[in-house]
Formats: sequence, C-alpha cells, structure tokens
Amino acid sequence: MSEKYPPIKTINGRKYFFRFNMNLRIQHIIFAASIIILVLTGMPLKFSGTPWAPYLYSMFGGIAIAPWVHKISGSIMLIVFVYHIYWCIKIFYNNHILRLKREGKRTIGSVTMAALKLPMIPNLKDAKDIIDLMKYLLYFTNKHPEGDEWTWKEKFDYWAPFWGCFIIGASGIIIWKKELFTQYIPGDLINFCLIAHSDEALLAALFLFIWHWYNVHFSTSVFPMGTVFLTGYLPEDLMIEEHYAHYVRVMKKEGLEDEIQPPHGGHSNPACNLTDEAKNLFSKSKNGSSNDSLQQGGSGI
Amino acid sequence: MRLQSRSRPLGAVIVLVLVIIYLLPAGVLGSDVGNCLLCHKYPGLSRVDENAEMRLLYVNEEIFNNSVHGKVKCEGCHTDITKIPHEPVKPVDCLAVCHIIEPAEEQKFSHKSVEAFLEDSVHGKKDKNGNEKKYSEDMPTCKDCHDNPMFRPLAFVKKVRAGVAEDALGRCRVCHKKEEFIYRFYNHITTRLHKSRSPLNIAQSCARCHDDPKLVARHNLNTRAGFSYGDTYHGKAAKMLDETVPDCLDCHVPKGQSVHQMHGNDDPRATTHPENRGQICSSTDCHPGASVQFANYQVHSEFSKEKSPAVYWFTTFFYILTGGTLLPLMVIMFLDLLRRLFPNATFRRRK
Repeated sequence: MSEKYPPIKTINGRKYFFRFNMNLRIQHIIFAASIIILVLTGMPLKFSGTPWAPYLYSMFGGIAIAPWVHKISGSIMLIVFVYHIYWCIKIFYNNHILRLKREGKRTIGSVTMAALKLPMIPNLKDAKDIIDLMKYLLYFTNKHPEGDEWTWKEKFDYWAPFWGCFIIGASGIIIWKKELFTQYIPGDLINFCLIAHSDEALLAALFLFIWHWYNVHFSTSVFPMGTVFLTGYLPEDLMIEEHYAHYVRVMKKEGLEDEIQPPHGGHSNPACNLTDEAKNLFSKSKNGSSNDSLQQGGSGI
Repeated sequence: MRLQSRSRPLGAVIVLVLVIIYLLPAGVLGSDVGNCLLCHKYPGLSRVDENAEMRLLYVNEEIFNNSVHGKVKCEGCHTDITKIPHEPVKPVDCLAVCHIIEPAEEQKFSHKSVEAFLEDSVHGKKDKNGNEKKYSEDMPTCKDCHDNPMFRPLAFVKKVRAGVAEDALGRCRVCHKKEEFIYRFYNHITTRLHKSRSPLNIAQSCARCHDDPKLVARHNLNTRAGFSYGDTYHGKAAKMLDETVPDCLDCHVPKGQSVHQMHGNDDPRATTHPENRGQICSSTDCHPGASVQFANYQVHSEFSKEKSPAVYWFTTFFYILTGGTLLPLMVIMFLDLLRRLFPNATFRRRK
C-alpha cells in the first residue's frame, strides 16, 4: 500500500497527506450518491403534505417511478454497506488475525485487543480531544486539540451512518417485502419499521447534510469544497489543523523534521486568514491594541 | 410562410366546430323544459336567505349537462317548485321518484333502495333494535357525501387521454341512431366502470366528518381516520395523486357491495371485523398472499399516548435521539463558526 499511496505527495511545493485509498473513495462516493437520491425520493413522502413535496417527487418520476428509484438506490446503499463490512473483516483477518496466528498468540484476548485498536474504534484520546475542543471553542485556550490520524468527528461520522444504515436498511427491507415478513412477524411491527425508517432517515439526512458537510465542505478552512473524498490526499493546512499529532508523526517518519509547521486552530488557519491589513483594522476598532498572547499560532506562514 | 400554411386548416376547423355547435339542436345540450335557465343562467343570481347566508342560484349549463344528472329535468328533483317567483323551497330529496324511466325494468327511476342499505349500515340513524341512535343527527345524508359529479370517462388502451373514444362511439352508431343517447349511455357506462373520484378526493370526503375532533370524540371513534390514513403509504401516495392506491372505501366496503353497506368493526358483516380483516389486504389486486398478520398492520395508529402508547414512546425515542444527536453538534458548529469569525475575542481581556 505504501508504494501505491506515498504518505506525502508534494505538488507545486505544497504537501498533501494520504487519507483514503481508491477502494474507500469509491465506496464513499457510491454510498453518498445513493443516500442523496434516497433522501430526495424519501423526504417528499415523509413530508407529503407540504407544497414542495409533489414538485420534488415528480422530478424522480412521481408516485409511479420514484418508489422504484428509492428501492434501487437503497439496494445499492446496502450492497456498499455489506461490502464495506466484508472488506473490513477481510483486512482485519489478513493484517491482524493471520499475524497473531503466525506469532502463535491468537487468543480471544489478543484478537479483541487488536480489534479495539482499529481506526474506527473510539478511544480515550477522543474523549480528551472533545473536552479540549470545548475549551478551545469557549475561548479558554487558543490551543486546538492535536488530533490523531482519525479524530472523534470522523469516528462519529463513521458510526452514525453505520447505525443508520443498519436501522434504515433492515426496516426498509421489511417494508419492501412486507408480505413475506408478515408470514413470521406481527403486522404491528410494520408500523414500528415505518417509524424507525423515516425518523432515523431524517436524523441521518440532517446529520450528514448539516454536520458532515459543515466539517468537510462549508467550514471556513475548507470552503467551498473539500477535495479529500476525490483525491484521497489532504492539504497540509487542514492536516495541521485537525490531525496535528499524526502530522508530526508522519513528517518525522518521512525524514522531514525540519519542515514541520507550527500547529494552528481553525481560527487562524493561514489558508483562510484575513489579510494583515484587515486584521489590524479589525483589532484596532475592537481593542485599540492587539494582545500577543492571543496571536499564538497566529498568521503562521 | 410556414406559419400561414399551418394556420389555415386550423382556422377552417375552428369555423367548422363553431358552425356545428351553432347548428346542434337545443335538446342535445340540455333538458331545460321549464326554461329555468332563462333566469338561472346569470352568474350573479343569488339571494340572502333567512339565516343570513348567501345562496348562489346560478346554474352553469355546460357543467350540469356533463354531470351524471344532466338528463334529469330541473323539476325532477326540485319537485315543489311550481311557480315564479318561487315559494320557499324545500331541500332536494334524493329518494324521490324521478321523471326518468329506468331502461332495465322500464319503471320510474328512484334511489329509494339506498335508504334501506344506509339505515342498516354503520351510518344509519337507528340501531339494530330500531331505536334512534345517540347523536343520530350527525349521521350523513345523501348530499353530505354526494355532489352532482361530472362524467369521468375512462382512458382506454392506446389512448393516453381520458375522454370520449371516437372509435367506441363509432361502434355504437352502427345500431343506435340517437346521437344524444349514444353520448350519454357511453358516458354512463365508462364512468361507472371505475371510481368517479380519486383516492385523495374520497379520503377528503370521509375526513369532513371523520377528522372533525368533536364528532370523533362524541361518537367515541378510535382515530381521526383521514388524518391517520394520510400517514400511511397509501395516504401519502393519494396525496401525490396516485389513483391506484386504496382509499377508505377499498378496505371498508365489502366486495361486491356499495358504500352504503359499511358496518362497524364489531359487526360480523364488516370487512374490518377481526374475523374478516385478513381478507382485505390479500385481495389479488393488492397484496396477494398476504397473511392475516399482515392485515393487523395498524393503518389508523396515531401519535397518541392514550390510543397507541407503544407507537407514542417509540416515536418519542426517535425524537429524543434526533434532538440529542443534532443539538449538541449544532452547538459545536455554532461555537466553531464564532471561534473562526472572532478569533481574538476572549473572556480574560475584559478584566
């Protein structure tokens, strides 16, 4: 993997850090596209009484066709979901279980420990980062938490759709094949499946289109669009902002200790900074004088 | 040039249509023997009645003639109107014997038989023992559900438009000579072959009473039926103007019977009686092979602590989950935005 995806690529003098391989990016884009179509064909039904619903619905073929668009997109989403789980298990087996077996240390305990160290599993560092982030956001400190390779936000963004996919997918299949399932389960359960399907879908849609998109696209450091989901590589500025601990580790490993940049929080990301002139204007009108201690990280470069 | 060459035949068609309409015998267009339209054709014709309500007395001849009662003379229903100016008139009695001859039995036509069916149904004014029901005045009469609907012709195979199929009329003309009869008979048959209202329209008709909280409470009904139907896929599809989804009548009217023969859930003749419920959904046209358990799907469940506590708490769980997830994240987003927009603000500086 390391030959195919060098940890740092330098293009036009800017460093880019490896995040996602091609397989993951394809999984993500199919998953994302299917979810957008699912939301667009599902919400007009959930909010069928609203004036916009018939217009949006007719863009997908209206009541005769849109339900099929929804079912096909849902199937695609679930196929990606199942493939992803298979892919994770395969990698875990190849990279961890086989290694433990070779070393003759394959016990339930050691496998569990290896599983708990997988990138998507939340750990104590994440809890600490959340507390530090709150301190930072509430102006108690100017030090942005130094995120590891995968931060709590990314783990949240992973597990929320994971749980959503399971709930929405399972209830969706039951609603789709209700004649079959009610041979075994009581009809009342269909009511609960419908509630779970639509309410969880609303939560998922709001979560993704507000929280996830804010973090990866709309935040002032990334606006107008994050490109890591297409290129797989994250620009250095963002890497420093969100994953400083990992950034330092990678730079050292690559022998680039001399080029390590100082940390900075989102409030002073050089990529989105005001010009010095504008900054002076702003601080003068507010305070008359600037406070050095608050400029830590400052305009950086 | 092109425009002209195209517009010429169209102009000829318009002239031809106008000439045909002008030459049509008056009888084709109406049944106004008493010449009521002499006055009632004026759109502003109205008066304020004893209850201070505005009564519009205008009759749109074109709409009336294309309605299912277009052949009935005004006096056929307004039997008590005999002179001009009119004496105070009684409301129309739909059960009156009309001046139409029913072709099958060659008797004068009447809707009288509906009365017996309706009295025997859940909407009747009397209970099983013939005693007046409580609040019987709430029970619907003919005109609460029926208006004077327009003919609603079918769209046949190979024809996208609903409307009069000229090929079909051509077949009628081989034997039948009277153009007016052909037109009316065709419309009567094709209208009766399917429902004259869309599912949404039906649901709205029933909802006029069944969604009224006062009526629902007074008659101790389980649900605001139109409202809870609107929460099901069937109801939502009906709102999207789907005509293939079931409406109230598809489940509540026994197969082969009419709307007037609906019964309460506790009546063994009712389609919704626990014994019969399994057969509603599994109809060949709907969910063939569906089990009895399938039919136990709660079509009319509502978000209500008293009526369906399980649904209530299950939904509440998702409300809390949604709020509990999104609100903290929104707060973080908001603070994040503030932190970026005002990087130098601080609590300490104010000291």
